[in-house]
Amino acid sequence: MADGSLSAPAPKLTPGFRASLPVLFLLVAGFLAPLVTVAAYAFATPKSFDVFRSFTLQNFAAIFDPQNTVWTSFAWALALAFCCVAILLIVCYPIAFGLNKVFGKWSGLVSVLFVFPLFVSENVRLYGWVLFFIKNGVLDGALKWFGFSGGPELLYTPGITLFGMVYVYLPFMLFPMTLGIAMIPRDLVDAARDLGAGRMMIWREVELPLAMPGILIGALLTFVLAAGAVAEAKILGGQSVITITQDIEVAFTYAQNWPLGSALALILVLIVSGLALAAMARLDLDKILGKR
Amino acid sequence: MGPMSRRNMLQMMGAAAFAGPLLSMSRAFAAREGELNILCWEGYNSAQVLDPFRSAKSATVKAESLTNDPTMINRLRAGETNVWDLINVNNPWARKVMAPAGLIKPLPRETFEPYFDKMLPAFKAPYRWAMSDDGKDLLGMAQRFGPYSFVVNTDKISRATAEEQGWDLFNDPSLAGKYGILESDDWNVFDIFLTAGINPFVEHTDADFKAFEETAVRIFKGAKMIGDIATMNQALISGEIDLHFTGGTYSVSPARADGYPNLRAVTPLKGPIDGKGGVSWIEITSTVNNPQLSPLAAQFLEYVQDPEVAHTVAFAEGTFNPVTQMGNKACFDLFTKEELDAIQWDSVEEEMARSAEYDIVPDYDKALEIVLAAKRQRG
Repeated sequence: MADGSLSAPAPKLTPGFRASLPVLFLLVAGFLAPLVTVAAYAFATPKSFDVFRSFTLQNFAAIFDPQNTVWTSFAWALALAFCCVAILLIVCYPIAFGLNKVFGKWSGLVSVLFVFPLFVSENVRLYGWVLFFIKNGVLDGALKWFGFSGGPELLYTPGITLFGMVYVYLPFMLFPMTLGIAMIPRDLVDAARDLGAGRMMIWREVELPLAMPGILIGALLTFVLAAGAVAEAKILGGQSVITITQDIEVAFTYAQNWPLGSALALILVLIVSGLALAAMARLDLDKILGKR
Repeated sequence: MGPMSRRNMLQMMGAAAFAGPLLSMSRAFAAREGELNILCWEGYNSAQVLDPFRSAKSATVKAESLTNDPTMINRLRAGETNVWDLINVNNPWARKVMAPAGLIKPLPRETFEPYFDKMLPAFKAPYRWAMSDDGKDLLGMAQRFGPYSFVVNTDKISRATAEEQGWDLFNDPSLAGKYGILESDDWNVFDIFLTAGINPFVEHTDADFKAFEETAVRIFKGAKMIGDIATMNQALISGEIDLHFTGGTYSVSPARADGYPNLRAVTPLKGPIDGKGGVSWIEITSTVNNPQLSPLAAQFLEYVQDPEVAHTVAFAEGTFNPVTQMGNKACFDLFTKEELDAIQWDSVEEEMARSAEYDIVPDYDKALEIVLAAKRQRG
């Protein structure tokens, strides 16, 4: 495109653009408008509803005040999200590999088993786990029945919060990862083996790079969901740690401070999207998607 | 008219998609005789309460339940006064916040005051929390109420010990790890002040806040868990905890009705609010200052005064509570012995007498920040 003599084409309402108008309208109304409103509230006078009518940095000043301990909530949310993604990567890879290469005709059934919990509300499933782990509950009661002194005290700890997140977000990692592994052509693996590559080398040099789009999408999806998780820390964790989503919730409810809640939400969006974009930038999407 | 082409069909569908919302909008701006929107605590949104009214009036009644007052008040402040017709919140908000802010409308006294005369003795007209500050306007109707301090498992801590020791139970290091905290942070502000021996409903000094902060950090550190009502009742029943901070008939009555009479709401015998150690709540339901208030709003307020409906409100799904209409024998007689036991009717009167009524904490924002920071220190 070095030809400077060509003038830019005049903007034209192409049929393609016109056809995309309904979708664009939906995106603007359903996705952008709420985001813009939250962003605008973040700059409104604290404890007011003067959105679009006032501009102040007071909400951010309050958040970044060294006296304010809200950073611990960000730290817990991000640490739990990182741990959740790391555990899911390790747990899901063998299952995804099995679904593609090992389970054969049982793959469909196994997939359904992993999808099935999604049909039950997350809160109901988490309360189910409370009944499992609670004192005199399923685990503790069963162990006592077998003559043991009782189950371990797992409930209401940060560890059980992480367990809940891993449990809830497993399908969101598993299925993109399964699709990623399905993208590995059998021929390439066979060719690598014929040329003398060992099992580890095939995994490292062939399978992992080819499955990377699915793995990456799964990791990003679960990270974004886990960073905004709240039910696990509340129901299973008994608020043993406070995550940032809970602080946002309190700002919008008990504190009657929508601008502060919006500022916290905006910072969370910036952190999560920043980390996601940084992760994407380190990986050449074109390369891993096969567009060379 | 020629045959319908696919293009015509699509055009018509598009037009309909745009016209649909506009049509319903024009309906919304028309008179609202047939619809009623209620913002309330859980119970008033139940089908048992709403369905008979819906069919009697052929009305579309929508009710949204929330579980804290500040959120509901905020919804009106944010501009939803043109959405809601009735708002049902605890006692101080109508008189001290919503009426001065112009968020609610007064009720006709000649129509509604006679209902107060049939209520329990403490609620006779003019009932303070239902009236404006100058005593001229009737701002709402009283129905559900109850004491709300803390809940114990009487198999572990006797009622007498709990009442005698009061909030000091939570200062006892031997009970650390044996109690839960209900996640109602506005009530937790009151109760942490009370545990620190301070009246919550006055302006506080720096020394008060120092004591408040120390108490808040210790109470939250010592809690086994913080959670909702279901979590607290489940943990009491399973034996995870022996008592929980912030709670009362509203929270424990479902567990008592399910066959756990050993779980009991307790009001301390004494405390720092002019000698009172407990806090009680009384819901006041008001008509919203909606430019197009539905005429059904006032009719609904009259409907829930009916003895049978009042009994249904008392035992609507989720939570069971005493109602002011129990002062009317026709209403009281509808309660079975089991129902009276679930709402601790045997001690309601004395517990209400030992409780100060829910009020606004003048420096609530500062106290709430301390509570949130104390919670974060749990991790």
